[in-house]
Amino acid sequence: MAKSQKTSVGRRGFLKNAAASAAGAAALATSTAPAEAQSTGSGRDAASTPSVPAPTEKQLAREAGSIQPPVAVRSITRPASDLMVQAIRDLGIEFAAANPGSSFEGLQESFINYGDPPNVKPEWITALHEESAVTMAHGYAKAEGKPMVAVLHGTIGIQHAAMSIYQAYYDRVPVVMLAGNDVDFIPAHTAHDMAGLVRSYTKWDAEPQTVDAALTAIHRAYNEAITPPLGPTLVVLSSEVQKVNSPNVRIPSYTPPQFTTIDSTTAKEIAKNLLAAQNPRIAVGRLRTPEGVERAVELAELVGASTGTAATQGPMSFPQRHALCGPGADKGYDYTLGLETGGAQASITGPGLAKIAPTRDTTNIDFGGILRPGRGGFAPSREKSAPPVEADAEASLPLIIDEVKRQLTPEQKARIQERAARHASANHDAHVAALEQAVEKARPGWNSSPISTARIYAELWPLIMNEDWCLASPSNFSGGHNAQLWEHNKPYSYLGGQGAGGMGYGAPAAVGAGLAAKARNRIVINVQTDGDLNYAPGVLWSAVHHKLPVLTVMHNNRAWHQEYMFIQYMAGVRGRGAERAIIGNTLRDPFIDYTKMAAGYGMAGEGPISDPTKLQAALRRGVASVKRGEPYMIDAITQPR
Amino acid sequence: MKNAIGDWRLAIGCLVLAAGLPWAVNAQQNGSAPAPTSPVTGNATSGKALYYSYGCYACHGYGGETGARPFVGRWGHLANEREFVTFLRGRANVAPVIPSGSMPNFSVETLPDKRAKDLYAYIRTFKSTGPPLKDIPTLDAIVDAAKHEK
Repeated sequence: MAKSQKTSVGRRGFLKNAAASAAGAAALATSTAPAEAQSTGSGRDAASTPSVPAPTEKQLAREAGSIQPPVAVRSITRPASDLMVQAIRDLGIEFAAANPGSSFEGLQESFINYGDPPNVKPEWITALHEESAVTMAHGYAKAEGKPMVAVLHGTIGIQHAAMSIYQAYYDRVPVVMLAGNDVDFIPAHTAHDMAGLVRSYTKWDAEPQTVDAALTAIHRAYNEAITPPLGPTLVVLSSEVQKVNSPNVRIPSYTPPQFTTIDSTTAKEIAKNLLAAQNPRIAVGRLRTPEGVERAVELAELVGASTGTAATQGPMSFPQRHALCGPGADKGYDYTLGLETGGAQASITGPGLAKIAPTRDTTNIDFGGILRPGRGGFAPSREKSAPPVEADAEASLPLIIDEVKRQLTPEQKARIQERAARHASANHDAHVAALEQAVEKARPGWNSSPISTARIYAELWPLIMNEDWCLASPSNFSGGHNAQLWEHNKPYSYLGGQGAGGMGYGAPAAVGAGLAAKARNRIVINVQTDGDLNYAPGVLWSAVHHKLPVLTVMHNNRAWHQEYMFIQYMAGVRGRGAERAIIGNTLRDPFIDYTKMAAGYGMAGEGPISDPTKLQAALRRGVASVKRGEPYMIDAITQPR
Repeated sequence: MKNAIGDWRLAIGCLVLAAGLPWAVNAQQNGSAPAPTSPVTGNATSGKALYYSYGCYACHGYGGETGARPFVGRWGHLANEREFVTFLRGRANVAPVIPSGSMPNFSVETLPDKRAKDLYAYIRTFKSTGPPLKDIPTLDAIVDAAKHEK
């Protein structure tokens, strides 16, 4: 967009305008205390001051709360930040999470006061740490398949958020971040290139200098975030751009992004092969949105293909207990299609981080070796596989579906129905067999104290199976028992891992999922590892403050057990014994009381519970609480893994 | 000749083991292998203290039934004291490139034979405490619900 002279907001111009409209401000100045009355901060010892001036009449009135506010002329009739909030609202963004900061006071004031009703879609969410704010957005995006906003305060807010930004980047999750920049307030909070702090692990950033450019940048940040490879984006907004009066600015019309799809020839070919195959197989990885999951189900049903899912590893994949999901009646597949997963005869996978890293990581930090050849690419191919087609599977699905519908003959339809029925029967049997194995694995230690992690998942399942639920926390450190004991049939059933393996993720991700859940009559389960919670536990307060339906069940093994095992092994290798491996790896002396911690943040809860027979009743109370919209914590003392 | 006889006996022994192997492997895999009955000479009370101070529970659970490598029903290298001690001494003594959560090595200097036998004595006190499935209504109901799913 061309730069608008009308809305260009240089610092000097802004200040000049402010000075010109200072009539009201002059009135305000007369109502403040005399300068000498405020001079006690000069460094002089109060005791050496011979006398303190008596308060003025106005000061006394102000103290008594009966002062009449000065009559000021409003010079700002339409702050630019109102337009920004409107643009964000128009994009359907529901929430903006932030820890307060002076650099975005203009923006925050608009978020909470602009609109009718104000502070609704988007609603301002109070975070106690920027890392929590961004991870909330991370969890929300994984649950809903769309971004929310995190607002950051200058250099310090961005650096507080850095770990969470990195995690969202590595997890390829869309997050739109806005950062305030007030160059004339606190020097340490500003920078010449603020976005440069995190550029290597964000997808896109901008620092617009005009209101028009800022509105365009918000649209682009949203589009970049939701376009593969999905990722966090950042718009730095100066105080002036936020606050300037913008009576004549119009929000530009929003143009949705274009997703790269397979071409029509490829779509025809895939449809033909799916229909010609006697036993086609569709493997579904992680799609972008719930709509993509619906399309994947539609295609699988149309062609009667047995289907693989990633629903037990993360969100937005094929329903785990759909009749077609499983190995099917015959594992001799004669045609395979991969949707956001490689290794098939036809694989459609969106671009990975390697696609954007060279332009973003200009200082060659090379996080995770993404820049190195062969890293950050596609999964290794299997026999009979072809190199993946780089396109967005979700956006390509309608093309394949249309082609299948066009090519489908009545004979094929009858054969597909018969095949689907055989798959359904075989998958049901496979499910029961897998479940029996999982149950047999959960049975040992069922009565153990401390409580087995399997028992936590097993006892939870009957209480939530008829609810609309979301497991927001990673389950890998607690045995992953949900994978078989639970049924992951919704796009948000399980939100998967941290992204980059960084701790401090579970609780804030669950709070983000809780934001998504609240208005949707859904409940969120957070099986919370103890070490992970201690990074930024203040997010518990956010859950209470915003009345989020999040049930936290502590997997309290009083240690960082993975690291404990590593040190035990290392000590063994070096022949020094394992007795001291607890040093630095355990959370004892004292034990942390998590229900007291939760109570401090206003969260109801109970525990510690180490008697397994008391667990179910506690979980029942917890589920009842979150169904009322009141977050709850159960501190379960657990077996290590 | 003595050696030859020894070899002959060894061969017979291997055949017997091989015949029983499929059953044994299966039992180990499904966690139903019977507990060893070999003699125990160590002191289980001392062994319990060692089990905690060495952090064995980190991988094997507080009762040997849970975690990454439960003992109960999968006795593996716990058939007798000698095998157990040999196993402890035979773990890796070269640092891996990447961190490992595998079974650590316990040299004789850090865990003398007597203490190792105490540890073994404590491990041998572990028993299967998991009730039969029919006595765990929660698990039974989960399987039952799946069986009747349409």
